[in-house]
Formats: sequence, C-alpha cells, structure tokens
Amino acid sequence: METTEIIIKQNGTLTERVIRERDLEAEQPVLDALTDGVTRIVRNVLSLPDWGLVHAHAGLNDTVWTAAIGRIPLNARFRLVDGVLVPAFASAGDLEMPLVWHAPEEVRVAFAVRTTSDNGCVRVDGNWLFACDQDNRAYRLPLPNLHDDCLVCTGNFQDRYDCAGDAVAASLEQFRKSKWNADLMRTAERSQKFFRFRPTNETFTTLPIQAGDWTALCDKVSTNITERVVL
Amino acid sequence: MKNITVKYGVDSITKQVDDDFTFGDLQDSDTFKAALGFGDRTKALVEGIEQDRSTVIPAGATVRLETAANTKA
Repeated sequence: METTEIIIKQNGTLTERVIRERDLEAEQPVLDALTDGVTRIVRNVLSLPDWGLVHAHAGLNDTVWTAAIGRIPLNARFRLVDGVLVPAFASAGDLEMPLVWHAPEEVRVAFAVRTTSDNGCVRVDGNWLFACDQDNRAYRLPLPNLHDDCLVCTGNFQDRYDCAGDAVAASLEQFRKSKWNADLMRTAERSQKFFRFRPTNETFTTLPIQAGDWTALCDKVSTNITERVVL
Repeated sequence: MKNITVKYGVDSITKQVDDDFTFGDLQDSDTFKAALGFGDRTKALVEGIEQDRSTVIPAGATVRLETAANTKA
C-alpha cells in the first residue's frame, strides 16, 4: 500500500511525502527473537502424590519445574555415633538403611527438573537439589552425588516421557529410590552434622542440624537454574 | 580506580577496584568471596555472555557470577 501526503511546512514550502507499507510476514520469528529470554512463573501446575505441588518456570525453549519436597530420602549406609545415626556414605561395612530426613522449617529443600520438547516427547535435561534460605539464597547440601551446581548424579535414567507431569514424577521417583554412594563426596563431617537421626522405638527421628547456622555446612550456589527455582 | 557491581545469586556488591582488574582477579578475590560467598569454581558473565578470565572488567560493569559445574569424580 502506498500513501502520498502533501505537507505545507512552516516556511510555506510544499513537500510531498510518500509512505510505502508492506507486510513482512515475519511476526512469529521476530516475536520469538524478542522473547527468547522471557520466562514466566506458573504456580501449582502439578500436584504429585507424596510430593505435593509443583511450580513451573517456563521459558521459550525449556521449563524448570520446582517441587518443594521438605524431605530427602537417604538410602545410604549409616553409623551410630554416641547414640546418633549419621550417614557414612563411603563406608562398606556399616548398615544400609532407607531413612528419610525431614527438613527443618528454615531449610527449604527444592527439587528442580528441567524439561525440553524433543520430537513430540518431553525430555528431562537434568535434576537439581537445592537448599534455600528464607531469602531465596540457594545452597549445595553436604551430600555426595551432587555436582557443584547441585545437579543430581542420577546414573542411568529414562529421560523421555509423553508429558511433563510424567517426567517430573519419574524424576522424583528416581530420586526417592536412588542409593547415595560416595561419588562426588567432599567431607563426611559436614554431612554428619547435617543429617542426624535418633532411633526411637521402631522408627528414626530427624534430629536438629548440629550448627548454629545451617548454611555454614553448605556451599552457596548461583546458576541459571537457581534463578528459576520457584518456592 | 573504577566501580564494578558483582552479583552472586540474590546478593550483590558494588566496589571500587583497580583499573586493570580482570574477571580472573574477581573470581580469585578473597574480598569478593567473603562478601558474596562464592567458591573456587565460578564463571563470570556480563549480559549473559561468559567472559574470559584475562579480560579487564569495564568500568561500571555489572558482573554476574555463577557456580561452575564440575565433572563426575
């Protein structure tokens, strides 16, 4: 379409202005480019049995799902020290037990799953385990099987699913049943101050963390995934 | 001297540093480590782009530090 305008300028000059318009039909690619880094938080997208609500941080190319799990299943070897059961991840001789560590109120445990679309499937790109304080600072727990960026070392894992709900549920199930070994282990001392249990009758009670400030036993982390954790 | 702002997670600090202060100097700085709580393995980003350790940080820049991933032991 072409539009011609005749303009009378203040000094009396007559000027012709021709405006030509054409649709470039590039709306979607332009929109995609402009919104490449735009993400959106959607709360309460999923409700998983045993785990609770899952929130989403959706981007153009991927979604980071967060479950505030409140507990960590510890299928590991434990040792009794002064009446307190503490993990002995590197031990070969101690008793292996499936204990569940319940996080105190001040430690917000977040399990994050990143998914992408892949040929009509949902693919799990990774699972992360963070401990967050009340100000949303993220920390690496004193656990083995966690990389520096809190990526969980899952071993062999089926990573393609029909839908995101199945992908997140499968990631949590893998996390629940995994055994903790000494891979990527740093210091046992921190683990044993953090994860403590007292045998009571036929069960095991989670004891308070043996530190004035629990973050002193962890390493602070900041990654592109921590930025997208929704608690 | 020049001012730079460094972010690590939700925490940030603005500090005056020498004109030739590099991204590597920042990543190794005990002062910044103590203030922000980052460890030995980090990567430095400006506007989402990872920076080389030897590059001098521009005056007034905002540097985002991230925890670098390790490989399996």
